[in-house]
Formats: sequence, structure tokens, C-alpha cells
Amino acid sequence: MKKSSLEDTANSRRAHNWVDPSFSNPSDERFWSGKREDKQFWDSQPECERSRKRKKDRSGFLRLTKSIENDPDEPWVDRYSPCSQGELAVHKKKIEEVENWMRGHTNPSKGGILILTGPSGSGKTATVQVLSLELGIRVQEWTNPSSVEPYYGSLPEWRLKGSSCSSQLAQFQEFLLRVNKYKCLKMKGDREAPDNRLILVEDFPNQFYRQPCGFHDILRFFVKNSQCPLVFIVSGSRSGEGSLHSLFPKEIQEELHISCISFNPVAPTTMMKVLKNILYMETEKQRHKSLYVPDKSELEMLCSGTSGDIRSVINSLQFCCLPDKGLFTLKKPPAVQLERTVSLSKQRRKRATSSREQEEHQAIGGKDVSVFLFRALGKILHCKRGNCEGANATKGASGPGLPFHLLHHHREVLLVQPESVVERSQTSGEFFSLCLHQNYLDFFSEIEDVDRACEYLSDADLLTGNWTIRHIIGDYGSSVATRGLIHSNSCQLSVGFKPLHKPSWCLVSKKHQNNSLAAQSLFRSFRLTPVSLLTQLLPYLAKLCNTTRSQAQIAVIQDVGQMSLRRCSGRLKLENLGDKEMGQEVEEEEEEHCRIEKDLQVSQSQLTTNQVLLEEEDLIIEEYESD
Amino acid sequence: MIKNRLVDVLKVQGGDFPHLLVYGPSGAGKKTRIMCLLRELYGPGVEKLRIEHQTIVAPSKKKIEINTIASNYHIEVNPCDAGNQDRVVIQELIKTVAQSQQIQSSTQREFKVVLLTEVDRLTKDAQHALRRTMEKYMATCRLILCSTSTSKVIGPIQSRCLAVRVPLPSKEEVCSVLTSVCKKEGLLLPPELAKQISDKSGRNLRRALLMCEACRVQQYPFSADQDVPEPDWEVYLRETANAIVSQQSPQRLLEVRARLYELLTHCIPPDIIIKGLVEELLNNCDGQLKTEVAHLAAYYEHRLQLGSKAIYHLEAFVAKFMAIYKKFMEDGLDAMMF
Repeated sequence: MKKSSLEDTANSRRAHNWVDPSFSNPSDERFWSGKREDKQFWDSQPECERSRKRKKDRSGFLRLTKSIENDPDEPWVDRYSPCSQGELAVHKKKIEEVENWMRGHTNPSKGGILILTGPSGSGKTATVQVLSLELGIRVQEWTNPSSVEPYYGSLPEWRLKGSSCSSQLAQFQEFLLRVNKYKCLKMKGDREAPDNRLILVEDFPNQFYRQPCGFHDILRFFVKNSQCPLVFIVSGSRSGEGSLHSLFPKEIQEELHISCISFNPVAPTTMMKVLKNILYMETEKQRHKSLYVPDKSELEMLCSGTSGDIRSVINSLQFCCLPDKGLFTLKKPPAVQLERTVSLSKQRRKRATSSREQEEHQAIGGKDVSVFLFRALGKILHCKRGNCEGANATKGASGPGLPFHLLHHHREVLLVQPESVVERSQTSGEFFSLCLHQNYLDFFSEIEDVDRACEYLSDADLLTGNWTIRHIIGDYGSSVATRGLIHSNSCQLSVGFKPLHKPSWCLVSKKHQNNSLAAQSLFRSFRLTPVSLLTQLLPYLAKLCNTTRSQAQIAVIQDVGQMSLRRCSGRLKLENLGDKEMGQEVEEEEEEHCRIEKDLQVSQSQLTTNQVLLEEEDLIIEEYESD
Repeated sequence: MIKNRLVDVLKVQGGDFPHLLVYGPSGAGKKTRIMCLLRELYGPGVEKLRIEHQTIVAPSKKKIEINTIASNYHIEVNPCDAGNQDRVVIQELIKTVAQSQQIQSSTQREFKVVLLTEVDRLTKDAQHALRRTMEKYMATCRLILCSTSTSKVIGPIQSRCLAVRVPLPSKEEVCSVLTSVCKKEGLLLPPELAKQISDKSGRNLRRALLMCEACRVQQYPFSADQDVPEPDWEVYLRETANAIVSQQSPQRLLEVRARLYELLTHCIPPDIIIKGLVEELLNNCDGQLKTEVAHLAAYYEHRLQLGSKAIYHLEAFVAKFMAIYKKFMEDGLDAMMF
């Protein structure tokens, strides 16, 4: 009895050891601790268990056939996970890139850091797993320890593994250090157990998001004495890699020679191939069951609905192949019906189908379709309208045309829905209007049109200016801005490609604030109001040669007081808006803005809900009086 | 030299005075007069000033940091530094000042003075708070409010204060001040130059003195017809206005926008930009247009206050002007042709 309990504790302790996998006995399947998960990928170990979490545990087909018998309800994502390069739904060049890096950094056992970025479901983890399998590299993965764990164990045990009490950060550091330092013990049973290791970090300890400095220090330390490569997987959503910027700023990337490979969403054609393969294999296997087989158009619809996320595509495929047709079948696009109605114009038909398609996507496990800011802006600025004949054809249907005196307001039918474009751009309407404002002038030829567009933008700003009602009226503001811009551009120039720029306003207003704050704090002794300080004193101080002032004061004088009188100054550099960029930086700006507003709101709500706060305030006042 | 009506007020009241609201344009000498008044009250002790950094905790537990300038007898503060928390600053600051007694009330006055600057920029909230505070602490402190105009000061405050208007000095006064200052500095200022400076300064005495000093740096001994330097931003603004008048096209508007941004980064407030632009543009356009342009400017200046992002409204004003001006020129051309 006693002996067995001893053994138990030994076992459990072993489970928390660092170098366990090689001598853990095969029956002991649960050999992953809370701290990390060891995965082994050699074919010689068929008992190696599959992942519980994701499809990333690529395993051989041999095992798969076995597991199908065991578990027919297994998600297809896990069942058909790729196990060779050929099966990866990633572009060959990308795989090659990652492979080259891995080869280059494992063989002489020198370390290095690689970041893989890309939207979720683009095959980042799968690529690493498959490649490490092929190159014979052990993958050591970090997973965040769950904080509940120590409470499950009995007290003495909990004391024994004191490390559980230490912070995530310390554990992470220790993990990196140990994996880096110690090799796997070689046991007799292991055939050619590979020496090469690779550390995979996909779960970042939460602390790092708040204080990236600590993370950077750990990275620096790691790079200094690293022996094995370290791969980070940052799966940013499509809306910019926010965490990537904070965790790995440019300086760190350069300082530590971090290479960065970004994955694109899986292309629809590749996706189709994968889906067809899976369907084929499923139908082979489950011939006895009634499996609903979606046709090609339905598959295509699935692909386009999920914006390149292969995991969700496979999931939704399995979902819609369920035998129970009555509930889950996809509706076929009613193209046939549409073709019959000849009276509809071409354009309108296209619109009808496209909008219907969108609805379909939403219906079956699809994601919200998002558009990059660049494209969204382009959609508004290059606004596409129906051509004349289409308009003529629809005229009869849509009722009488505009009366004579309003005829100059006539425009062709819009092909885009401005509100939905703004919504899908994943930015606030205000920021979207700022971007439009920055770029719209390139698309206008007549000053009269510009005048009207400007007025609409100004109106939109008025609408969103009042923060108390902004959450209600903000959408109207962006609607006014976009539609106003589109409508006022009476003769659309057929401009070719135009580079779009980030709005300079954010930068300008920030500079304006900083400069005036600096000036006020440095020149307080003049006791002037800010306006007269900035418009009268500083410009003249710039003209006087004053040597008695401090360095900071002189800097401000030169910065604020002097203006270069040349035609265009290089102070404001236009930042090009990247193809796939989202308004990330400005998001921060917005956040700041929001914070200020929140403060404001707090102060305002205090006014209105004074009653509620009365008790608290009373307390404070008493304190004052006792003083 | 320049008559100080404030000190007269003091004499009439026999050493005591009600709350004061001193208003007048910038550079007219409001603060100078207030300091004269304080010295009259407390003696030279008020000129020992110190800059204090105060932290005030708002009821929302938010800390507001504000700088005050104080002597033993008075405290000067610009509540607008606290942004939209100015109400808290006014309440707390006046409360603390008013609750502490004067050290030697036998030899000194039994009240302290709180000098609030830029009262016209206070939020409505803060102004109402000020009204209550004024009544409450009348016994121990006097308020002197300083603002450029009374139009943004709410009625209740105006009626509780004795309003004193400080007008701009006349050109002759500016000239005489300039010559006397130059005499003290040991410089010889030709009367023509003094006249020129006072013309260009717009009777703003601070500006006139700064201009004079800049002239001194530029060239000494003075010559009667030397250039009086103007602030860079005014020159820049004038060039901007010229650019608007000379061509009306979207491309030009883009250039103008860049220039507006440049002005904004140099901390020129948007309403001053629009005012400067209008003045320059009005000089350049025909009498028929003037009313319309002025109306537009007023319209967009109002929107500037309501909206949150100034550039939209500045640009809308420029675009509107361009459109009107272009139409006017084209009509003029047509009329010439036929």
C-alpha cells in the first residue's frame, strides 16, 4: 500500500520533470505536464498520442486508419491533418523558406529565432510540425501553465513542485533555459532519437502582452547562449498583427536577427483541392453510411466564405456533409431562376447573387468577411457605378427619373454598399473618414466637386463631434462622409493606381498637443496665455538671438517659433498605406482618444449621478474638514 | 504713463474691492494693471513670485496636475490647463486658498486674491462652479478674472463682478512707450520706425515691444525705413492665402492642406488660422464677394468649435472659397467677352 503510493508520487513527479519523454513507459500516455507538451513525431512510435487540442499534431496515416476504427466521430480536421509537405495547403515557396531556415539553424546546433505570422488557419503550425517530422527535429512546445493546477494536487505534492507557484514568466524563462541546455537522454529503446531540438512557442505568457520589456530581456538572454532554434507563432487576425508589434518591435527584430516569415491565407484553389481529397476519402470509407456529398459550387461557396482559414473550412465541410440533410444542407444559389428573368440588368443580377452569397456564407460556419483598409478605401474612392445601359434598363423598373431641376444630381447605380464597406474595413467610422479625407483629392478634377465633398466631410465631423451621442450617430457620420464623397464626385476620373496615404491628422494633432504642452511648461515664467505665448512670444523669440535660454527652451523655440518659408517643407512625410495594412497605430490613437473621453464621461456622469456618489464624497469632505 | 483705472477703483472703495472681471484684447495690459493693483494693495511683496506645482485629486480619484504662480498674497492660475477638469481645479483651489487665513491680517488686508486667467475658455460647468464659489468665499478672498472678451462668460458671473474693460493703447501711446523703453535701453529709436512698428503691431503693446527688440537684433543703429520683422507663421499664412487666390484646383488644395498642417504643428490655433486667412483673402477679392466670404468664414469657424477635427473645416472653408472665387472669375471673364 505504502509502496504503491510512493510509486504514485514518483510517477507524478516524473510527470513534472523536464526530461521525461524518453523513458516514460508507453502505457503512460498522459505524459504532458501543465508546463509544456512534448510531441514526438517519428513513425517508430505508433502509440504516440494525438493532440487533444488542434489539428496541428500531424501524425502518420498508418495511425489514422487505426484511429478511424476507434473513433468515427473524430473531427476531420484532426483525421486529415497533413503529414508530408505535399499535403500541406501552403504555397511551396513558403514551405521552402521555412525549411531553409530550419535547416540552416538546426544543423550546427546554433540557435536563432523565427517568427511565423499569418491569419489563423493558414497552416503555420502544420508547416512547422510537418517539416520537423521530415527533418527529424524534436519539437518542444511551450503551453501556458494553468493556474488551477496546483490546487488539484495534495498539499505535500504541491510543495514539492515549488515551481508551480512561481510566476508564468519565471517558468517560461526556465523552460527556455532548460530546453536549450539539456539534451534528451538517450535510451536504448530509442532508435536514432534525433538530437536536434526546436522550441515552439505559440502561447505567450500573458504577462508579456503587458510588459514586453521582460520578454525582450529573456529573448536577449536566449540569443546570447542559444543552442537550438526558437520558433514563435503569432497568429494575428487579419486586422494587423497587433501583438506582433508589441511583442517583437522592429528594433528587437533587428537587434536579435529575428527572421520573420508571414503566411498568407490559404488560396481558394488549394483549399478546393484539400476539400475534394477529404471528400473522396470520406466517401470511400463511409460507403455504408449515407453521406451527403456537396457538389462543386457548394464547395466553392464554402471556400470563399471562410477567407482562407483551412481549419474552419474543413470543419464546416464536415458539418455540411452530415447525413441529416433536412437541417444542414446548403441552399444552392438560385442562378437558374435568375437567368430566366431577362429583364434584370446584368449588373443587378451580379449584385443580387453576390449579396445572396454573402448571406449564405454567414449561414454555414463562415467568418465575417473583412476587407483590408486599402481595398475598402479604394472601393469608396474609385467608386464603381453601373454603366449607362444598365441604368436605362432599370429606369423603367425603379420609377420615373428625377425632375428636371434635380437632374444634375442624377448618378448611376452604385455597385458598392458604402456602409458595409466601412463595416468590413474593421476600423472606426471616424478613422475611415480621416483616411478618405487624406486621399480623396487625387480622385477629383473639379474644385466645385471638391467643395461639396469637403462640406460633407465637415458635416460628418460635426455628427461625430459630440461624444455623448457618438455611439448612436457615429454610423450616420461615416455614412454621410462616404456617400457624400461618392455623390459629389460628379465626373469620376478614370485614374489608374494611386498610392493611398495614412491620414496625417493624427500625427499633426499629436504634435500640436506635445509642442504646445512643452512650450507652456518651459515658458511658464512669462505668465502668458497659451495663445499669446504661441502666436506672439515664441515666433519673436525665434527671431531674437538668445543665448541665455536653456537647451530645451531653444529647441522648442526653433521647433515651434520658426517656420521654413519654402513652398513645401519636408516635415510632414506622407506615409504610404500598405496593401495589407490596417489602421493599427491609429487604433492606439483612438484608444487614447477613447480614454480621454472616458475620463470626460466619468466627470460628466459625476455631475448627473451626483446622488449616487454622494456617500463617497461626503467621506472625503469630512476628511478635509477635520484637517 | 497709461492710466490705470483699476487703481482708481481701489481708491474709490477705500482699499477694498469687489470681484473683478478684467477684459480686453491681448496685449492691452490687463495683467500689468492687475499687478499694479495688487502692489497697491499689498506692497512690493506681491512681486516675489514662485511657480508652484499642485496636484489636485478629482472626486473621480483622478489626479490633476496644475501649475500656479503665487506670492504670499495672491495666487494666479489658468484653469484651462486642466482641460475639461477645470471645474475641479476651480472648486478645490479656491477652497484651499479661501480656507487659509492671512498671516498678519492686522497689517495686511483680510483677504487674499485669486487671479484666474482665460476665463472665457472655461467650460460652462466650471463657470457655474465658479459662480457658487464666488458667493461662498467672499469673506476671505477676492477673485480677479481675466479674459479677452465677455461674450463667453456667463451672465451670472458678469453680474457678480465689476467689469473693467482694458482697451488697446492708441498708436501714439504705443509710440511713446516704445521710445521710452528704447531710451531706458540706451537705444535711439527714430520716430518713423516707432510709427511703423506701432502700425504693424495692431496696437498690441506686447507685440510692439517684441517687434522693436527683433528690429534691434536685425539691425542697429536703427534706420527709419527698416523692415519690421513679422512672425514666421503670419508670413506663411499670407503665402498660403496667395496660393489659394492664384489657382483653384484640387492639387492646389492638397498643397494648401499641407501648409495648414504645417501651421497646426507649429501650434497656431485653428481659429486664428481661419481668421488670418480671411483677412488675407478679403484683401484679395472683389467687394461683391466680401460679404459671402466673411459669412463663410464665420460659418466654418463655428463648425470648428463644434467639431472635433479642425482640418475638415479649415479645408472645407478653403475649398468653398476656391469654388466661389473660381466661379466669380469665370463669370467676370464671360461678362468681358460679351
